[in-house]
Amino acid sequence: MAPPIYSALIISLGLGTTMTFASTHWYLAWMGIEINTLAIIPLMSQNHTPRATEATTKYFFAQATASATLLFASISNAFLTGEWDILQTPNTLTSSLITLALAMKIGLAPLHSWMPEVMQGLSLLIGLILSTWQKLAPLYLIYQIQPTNSNIFITLGLLSIIVGGWGGFNQVQLRKILAYSSIAHLGWMILILSFSPPLALLTILIYLMMTFSLFSSFMLTRTTHINSLATTWAKIPILTISTPLVLLSLGGLPPLTGFMPKWLILQELTKQDLAPIATLAALSSLFSLYFYLRLSYAMTLTMPPNNPAGTLPWRLNTRHNTTMMSLTTTSTICLLPVTPAIMALLPF
Amino acid sequence: MTPAHFAFSSAFMLGLAGLAFHRTHFISALLCLEGLMLSLFIALSLWTELFNLTHNSASMPMILLAFSACEAGTGLALLVATTRTHSTNRLKNLNLLQC
Repeated sequence: MAPPIYSALIISLGLGTTMTFASTHWYLAWMGIEINTLAIIPLMSQNHTPRATEATTKYFFAQATASATLLFASISNAFLTGEWDILQTPNTLTSSLITLALAMKIGLAPLHSWMPEVMQGLSLLIGLILSTWQKLAPLYLIYQIQPTNSNIFITLGLLSIIVGGWGGFNQVQLRKILAYSSIAHLGWMILILSFSPPLALLTILIYLMMTFSLFSSFMLTRTTHINSLATTWAKIPILTISTPLVLLSLGGLPPLTGFMPKWLILQELTKQDLAPIATLAALSSLFSLYFYLRLSYAMTLTMPPNNPAGTLPWRLNTRHNTTMMSLTTTSTICLLPVTPAIMALLPF
Repeated sequence: MTPAHFAFSSAFMLGLAGLAFHRTHFISALLCLEGLMLSLFIALSLWTELFNLTHNSASMPMILLAFSACEAGTGLALLVATTRTHSTNRLKNLNLLQC
């Protein structure tokens, strides 16, 4: 893609999210979300393959529907209460409709069906932007709604954790697995949102870090299938150590960083007298752990049936820029002991 | 719920049902999307007329029109791209990305 067009699209992506973050009026927030959607469509279909075009089409429909529903709910709220201020959205039918529209934007169950197919058709870099940057604006709006009735959030959250785990069971395509893992993690975020917004923010940040690290490992070896994951040992041996640790962190195992949000969320839910929900969430995240373990097994514990002496590929002098990847991978593995400091830094 | 509110709400719900249940053609979904945006345009104009008597946010419907035109253009570009790669605008042909 020509550099001026590419940079205009990337700047528009930044502009859209910034507008939504800076707005107190629902209309301006909606405009920011629309700009985000419109800016990422050419990026998604830039290599003009049939799969990319199909993924872009499905993404467009899902996002356009959700945006229109969001604006409809905001206008209904204005008709009923006369308020356009985001922080003054009272807890009525319209705020539930706004929540559902934003849930469809980010791909929470039961509004998640577009997510695996869309991720499957995209390149890994655009898939990374889709699962990290595009989630920020709608999550910020959900965060600001300040709900008092937590039923819809608990339902969305639990369903997403279950669907995110169960849906990834039978997948061998890495991008679909990443889509289902995204759904599951968003479920954890939404589950705790009505009880402790700082914990939801913590979960968002740690999820962004872990997903970035995993996507970067896959981009480094350009793998999109478990079979090609299995040959990583011959290309970049260090990845067979770091990527399983990142995967186990995503699965939420101590002593890795991914345990931190899950632990604090379960503690908060128990304090709110919702121990059965906490149990259900914890057990459902075992589903996700299963397919993370399968990926780790394929990478580290198996050696594909090749002639071992002849499997080393040509090591050309490529220049991978691994700064961000090394930062996020280290954070994904080592940050659990710093939990008290992180909790102290998140008072809002 | 005032009559105006009911009018645009039912228009929106009809369009949403059309968008959600489209089965055959890509372009019928795009038309329902346009209907959605039209009902929202009428809603915003009515809100300015009925409730905002200072008319200081009378530009809201026009901005909505601009965004809706951009979205329609994007949808049509995707229709053309889909017809180029999948040879038809029937939705049954969008089946490459299944497991």
